[in-house]
Amino acid sequence: MHWRVSSLISCGVAAVAALLGTVDAAHAAMMPPAPARAGLTAVQAHCSACHRETAPGHFDRISEERKTPEGWAMTIFRMQNVHGVRLTQKQLRTIIRYLSDVQGLAPSEIRAGRFALERRPNHPILKLPYNLPVMCGRCHSLARVALTRQPASEWRKLINFHVGQFPFLEYQDGSRDIRWWKIASTQLPAELAKLFPLHSAAWRQWRNRPRADLAGEWIVHGDTPGRGDYYGTALIKRKSWDRYGARYVLHYANGAAFDGSSDAIVYTGFQWRGTGTLGGKSVHEVYFASANGARIGGRWFLDGHAEIGGDWDAARIAGAAKVMAVIPGALKAGTRQRVIVVGRGLRGGVDLGPGTTARIVARRPYGLILSVRVNAHAAPGYRTVRVGGVWKSDLLAVYRRVERLEVQPAFAIARLGGGTLAPVDAQFQAIGYTNVVGAHGKVSAVRLGAMPVTWSVEPFNAEAAKREDVRFAGTLNQDGLFLPAEGGPDPKRRFSADNTGDLYVVATRKTGKTAVVGKAHLIVTVQRWIHPPIY
Amino acid sequence: MNLKFVLPVLLAGLLAGCGSVLSPGHARRDFLVTGAAPDHLFVINPRTQKVVSDFTIPGAHDYVSVIVPSPSGKVAYVLVNRTRSIAGINLRTGKEVFRANLEQPGERVTCMYAFDVTPNGKELIVYVYRTRLEIDQYRVQAPRFLIFSTTAGLHAKPLREFPAPRRVQMILAKHDGRSFFAIGFNLYEYDLRTGRLIERRGILNWHRPHHLRPDMLAFWPVTEPTGIFSSPIYSTLVGPGTPPGGVPETSLLTLNLHDGHLAYHDIGRTNALIFSTVIGPDRRWAYGAYTQLTKIKMDGTHWRVADRVTLPHTYYSVNISPNGKEVYVGGTMCDVIIYDARTMREKGDVQLPGCADQATATLRVIERR
Ligand code: HEC
Ligand code: HEC
Repeated sequence: MHWRVSSLISCGVAAVAALLGTVDAAHAAMMPPAPARAGLTAVQAHCSACHRETAPGHFDRISEERKTPEGWAMTIFRMQNVHGVRLTQKQLRTIIRYLSDVQGLAPSEIRAGRFALERRPNHPILKLPYNLPVMCGRCHSLARVALTRQPASEWRKLINFHVGQFPFLEYQDGSRDIRWWKIASTQLPAELAKLFPLHSAAWRQWRNRPRADLAGEWIVHGDTPGRGDYYGTALIKRKSWDRYGARYVLHYANGAAFDGSSDAIVYTGFQWRGTGTLGGKSVHEVYFASANGARIGGRWFLDGHAEIGGDWDAARIAGAAKVMAVIPGALKAGTRQRVIVVGRGLRGGVDLGPGTTARIVARRPYGLILSVRVNAHAAPGYRTVRVGGVWKSDLLAVYRRVERLEVQPAFAIARLGGGTLAPVDAQFQAIGYTNVVGAHGKVSAVRLGAMPVTWSVEPFNAEAAKREDVRFAGTLNQDGLFLPAEGGPDPKRRFSADNTGDLYVVATRKTGKTAVVGKAHLIVTVQRWIHPPIY
Repeated sequence: MNLKFVLPVLLAGLLAGCGSVLSPGHARRDFLVTGAAPDHLFVINPRTQKVVSDFTIPGAHDYVSVIVPSPSGKVAYVLVNRTRSIAGINLRTGKEVFRANLEQPGERVTCMYAFDVTPNGKELIVYVYRTRLEIDQYRVQAPRFLIFSTTAGLHAKPLREFPAPRRVQMILAKHDGRSFFAIGFNLYEYDLRTGRLIERRGILNWHRPHHLRPDMLAFWPVTEPTGIFSSPIYSTLVGPGTPPGGVPETSLLTLNLHDGHLAYHDIGRTNALIFSTVIGPDRRWAYGAYTQLTKIKMDGTHWRVADRVTLPHTYYSVNISPNGKEVYVGGTMCDVIIYDARTMREKGDVQLPGCADQATATLRVIERR
C-alpha cells in the first residue's frame, strides 16, 4: 500500500462549496462555516451503515474521537482497504475536512506530535508515562498516540483492533517478556484517556474561535539542510472558506532563485497543508498558523522523499518593525560580503556592531541587502543587528576560526531503495562553532550555523569495517546528502546480506594546516514498505 | 553462479552418492520435508540430494509456515493461509487429506504457529488466537486449544476446545498420548482429553541462580530423532566474576517428551544468534542454525560450543539425519544445505525449484517405512 495522503489531503481541486465570499480586509476574522452539510451528508452516506447514527450527527466510534487530518486520512484509508468502503477522491477529501474541523485538535494539542506531521526524519522519542514507549512506541512513533484524543472506551477498542489485526504483536521483541495484553486491556485505556482525553478546554475554546484569514503578503525565511538559508516573500490568496493559493518569490543566500507556488487547505482553522513546487521540485507543505493568523511556520518536503525538506517561517509584511533573520548568520573576520537582513518596517540606518562596516545596497519588501566589511581584527562573538530603532542580538556572529564542527543530525537512519520503493536518504549538515573568551576569562561557544565542509564516510566499528559497509551501503555527496544503495540480498556480501551499514559520516574543514572534524552516526537499514502520513 | 561455486557442490554431490553405496545394510529411508512460498511442499532425498516431490498446497495464499509430520511420516500438516488454515498433505501423492480452516463466521481465528499431532497420529492439537469482528469494532477473545481428528477430512471441525493462556508459541504432544505441553510465559502441561491444567513450570520465571529473566522465541517444533525438543534461550549472567550489567549468555532449553523432563544448560557467551536447534540421536551433540552452524557438545552437565562454521546466508531451521551423520539447514531462502555432522563440512546444497522462499517453514525429517 502506498500512502499518498498528503497529496490527497491538500490536492488543490477540492470542490466544497465556498461558504463565504472573499473577505477583503486582511486579518479579518472569518466566521465558522454554516453547518458543513456536505461533510455530514457524506459521513451519513458512507459511514453510517456500520457506524450507527445514534443521535443527529453523532456516529458510533467516529464521533468519539478527535485527531489531525492525517490521522483521519489513515483511519479512512483502512475503512477503504480493509472494510471495503468506496469513496471518490472528492468524497474522501470532504469527509477528512469535515472531521478535521468538527473533531480536530487545538494547536496546543498538536505541539508534542507536530514533528511527525512535519515528517522530520530524526525525531525525538516522546517521553510519555505509563511505560507507553515500550507498550506503544515500538512499531510507530508515539506521535500517533499523542495526536489522538478519545475516551477510555475508545482507547480500549483501538487496542482490541491492534491485537485482532496484528496477532503477532504480543510475540514480538519488546512485548513477549511483559504481559502486554494484560496491561493493555486493564489499566492502559484509562491511562491513555487521562493523557489524551476526548474533551478538553483547549479544544472547546479553539472550536468556537473565529478563524483568521491567512490571505495577504508575507515575509518568508527558512533553511534547506544541505543548501542553506533562503528568504523572500509570499503572496497568499484565499479561494474559499478553507482553501488558499500561494506564490513564493524566494532566494538562496547566494541570490539563486527558489521560487514556487502552492495550493493549500487549512484544516481546523490553522493546519496548512499545501502541495506545489519550490525551486522546480514538487513539494508538500505542513505548516501551522498562529492563533491570531500573524505567523505561519512548519516544514516543507519533497514529494516521495519526505526526509528531504526545509524549515519555513513566515510573518505578515505589515506589522510592527522587526528584524527576523540575518543571512548568513556568521561572518568571517577580514572579509567583505553580501548580507541580507530579513525583517519588516526596517527604516533608518544599519549597524552590525564593532569591527563591521555595513552599507545598504538595496531595500526590498523582505528587508535589506547590505554590503558588509568585517575588520580582520574584529573580535569573535555575537553582534547586535540594529536597523533604525529595532535590534536583535542573537542572529549574527563574527568569527576568525571554526574551532569545532558538529554534524547534525548526530544520529540518522537511512533506508535502502529497491524495486518500486524509493530509498530514504539522509541529509547532514556541519554546524560550526567558535570560542569566545568572556569577561572573566570564561570561554563560551558561539554557534556559526552550517559551514561548507568536505564530506566522507568511515566504518562505525571493526565489524562494519569487516563487512565493508563503506563500500556497500551507499554514497555521501558533497552536499552532505547520503544516498543509500539498492536493497535485497547482495551476493557480493557475506551471508548475501542486504546492503545495510553502520557508518560514521565525517565532516572535515581545513584551514591552512589545521583541520577541524565532526562526526555523526548513520545506520543504513532495510526498506520500509509503507510510509504512512504519521510514522 | 561461477564455477568456483558450482564445482564443490557437484563434487560433494558425487561423494555423497559414493558414501551411500559404501555403507550397505543401512538402508536409509529418511527424507527431508520443507515448504516454500507461494504454495510448495517439497520432499528431498538427502542421499541423491534431489527434490523428489514438489507438491502444491491448495489455498495456501502465498504463505507456508510450520510443518508437522504425522508419526508415520505419511502426512505433513502445514500451517498456511496467513496462519488461518492447516492443510494435511499426503507425502506420497501430494493429495490434500486434511483441512482445517480456522475462521468462524464473524470471528478471525489464527493459529499462533503452535500445533502438534498426537503420538498415535489421530489428533491435532492447535493453539489459536480469536477476534470477534463486529460491525464497527474488533473484540479480542481468550485464546483456545482446538483438538481435531486427523480423519476429519477437508472440512475439519474441532472435536474439543479448551481455554488457553495467552502468548503460547509451541505445542508439543507428550509421548504417553495423555497430555500435551504448551510453551509460553511458562511451560504448561494439559490433559489432552479434558483440557485440565496438570502442571505449570516457569520459563520466563525460571529462577536459575545468577541468570536474569530469559528471552525465547521458538517456532521450530523439531523433536526428531530423539523425542527431545530443544531451543536456544537467551539470558544475562550476573553475580560474582561478571562485569556490571552482566554478560549475555546462551542456554539450551530441552524438554523430553517421553517423561516431561525440562532442563536448561548454559552453552556459552552469546556472540552469535541461534534461531533453532536439534539434538543428535546419541544425545551427545546438538546443532543450531542462523548465520552460522553451531555444534554444541552435551557433555554431562557441562555443555559448550564445540565448533562453528559460517553459512552462506541465514538459515532459520536446522535438523539432523536419524543416524546423526548429516546436519541440514533450511528455511529463509531457497536452498537446503547438507553438512557432515562430524567434520562440519558441506556435503551438498539442494536448490529448490524456482528459488522458492522457505521463510519460516520448518525443515523436518521423516522416515518412510
Ligand atoms: C463496512 C463497515 C464500515 C464502514 C462502512 C465504515 N467503517 Fe469505520 N470501522 C469499521 C470497523 C469494523 C472498525 C473497527 C476495526 C478497525 O478499526 O479497523 C471501524 C473503525 C472505525 C474507527 C475507529 C478506529 C480508529 O482507529 O480510529 C473510525 C474513526 C472509523 N471506523 C471511521 C469511519 C469513517 C469515517 C467511515 C466512513 C468514511 C467508516 N468508518 C466506514 C467498519 C466500517
Ligand atoms: C505491532 C506494532 C504496533 C504496536 C505495538 C502498536 N501499534 Fe498502533 N498501529 C500499528 C499499525 C500497523 C497501525 C496502522 C493500522 C492501519 O491503519 O492499518 C497502528 C495505528 C495506530 C493508531 C492510528 C489508528 C487509526 O485508525 O489510524 C493509533 C492511535 C495507535 N496505533 C495507537 C497505539 C497505541 C495506543 C499502542 C499501544 C497500546 C499501539 N498503537 C501499539 C502498529 C502498532
